[in-house]
Amino acid sequence: MSDDHHDDEHFHTGDSGAAATFPKQCSALRKNEHVMIKGRPCKIVEMSTSKTGKHGHAKVHMVAIDIFTSKKLEDICPSTHNMDVPVVKRREYLLMAIDDGYCSLMDPESCEQKDDLKLPDTELGQQIRDAYEKDEGSVLVQVVSAIGEEAILGWKVSTKE
Amino acid sequence: MVASQKFSDAEIDSFGEALNDTKKPLKARFRALFILRNIGCDRSVDWIGKCLNDESALLKHELAYCLGQMQNKHAIPTLVSVLEDEKQEPMVRHEAGEALGAIADPSVKDVLRKYAQDPCPEVSETCQIALGRVEWVEKSGKDTNSPYDSVDPTPSASTSDVEELAATLIDASLPLFDRYRAMFSLRNIKTDKSIKALAQGLYCEDSALFRHEVAYVLGQLQSPVATQELKDRLLLSTENCMVRHECAEALGAIANEECTEILKQYVNDEERVVRESCEVALDMAEYENSDDLQYAHV
Repeated sequence: MSDDHHDDEHFHTGDSGAAATFPKQCSALRKNEHVMIKGRPCKIVEMSTSKTGKHGHAKVHMVAIDIFTSKKLEDICPSTHNMDVPVVKRREYLLMAIDDGYCSLMDPESCEQKDDLKLPDTELGQQIRDAYEKDEGSVLVQVVSAIGEEAILGWKVSTKE
Repeated sequence: MVASQKFSDAEIDSFGEALNDTKKPLKARFRALFILRNIGCDRSVDWIGKCLNDESALLKHELAYCLGQMQNKHAIPTLVSVLEDEKQEPMVRHEAGEALGAIADPSVKDVLRKYAQDPCPEVSETCQIALGRVEWVEKSGKDTNSPYDSVDPTPSASTSDVEELAATLIDASLPLFDRYRAMFSLRNIKTDKSIKALAQGLYCEDSALFRHEVAYVLGQLQSPVATQELKDRLLLSTENCMVRHECAEALGAIANEECTEILKQYVNDEERVVRESCEVALDMAEYENSDDLQYAHV
């Protein structure tokens, strides 16, 4: 088993200066939780634990989906080793404009502007563009951030005025 | 009576036959043993018990160990007869005594009391500790709290002060039961500092049994921090073979290149138990480094 799983002294830090990941024992992880696999922040979709040998070690097999790229990743880790768990933050912003592929967003509480996020060039991005152009209400987009990476991963039309 | 839920009798018999097949390489028989250990039913116990007249002391001690870890009372008569049999090697009798402690049925207290006076120190010390465990389980109703899939011979200590635990561990004036408790706490704390403190137990000359347990626990930890200490005791040809064997298997569990290189050097050791341990340890290292999920597979 490679040693890079339990490198718990080694924290990646996000822009706030707070640790962007924290260590958690592999056996304590659960389906639907987040974990770093091959340097990518993922959500666990499947987990299975092996039977044990002499020292009572089990290996854990994980299948997980990269939260940003939706790519499927797999890993096998000793159950007692620490894995890095990314701190995943979600925030909703009001979509103000789409300009040259970039979104102009506003925090509905602080009214702070944010203009550095791209409209995803996926089906999701097209849905957001359509909803924005239909103009049936305010479009709220969901921004997810982890390990210093940030992207729009969801949206809805706001019901309140 | 413990029944198997997932395997048919015919499947269990095929694992049992593989375990008892003296023509198979030892490492394959070990993997078959752990399949049966993980099944845990009475039929598996019988197949493991059947193998206890094998020529390999290493295999026999592992059989007794597994019978204890399965915590199936069906194994008690077999384990008692191994403990009583003075023709069995000390490491095998030790393991039978420890296994009786792991099952922790009050019915074995008398036999443990008797062999707590055995002339062989590995056996007497084991039975003293096992008796302590049976009484502890009786009193507190609790089992040990190993983060591994293993039943510890004693509970862990109540303190988590590494320096205090380190001092208790190597204090030869204290009962082994208390030193074991410190050992499992240092394991559970699992920092480089606690692992280093634990490894100092390998230099306690007062008890080979104690040193062998330290080596086992270092194998559970799989930390390269203790490689040098384990290597020291494996290389020492005057060391008790039970300790050398456990050091070899711990190196196999750590499974890095340095460890496998050492094991390759001792795979032809003069001492059969050491030789065989290196063979099994190299197989374990191969599994640890592989993408195989299961160690014990068919």
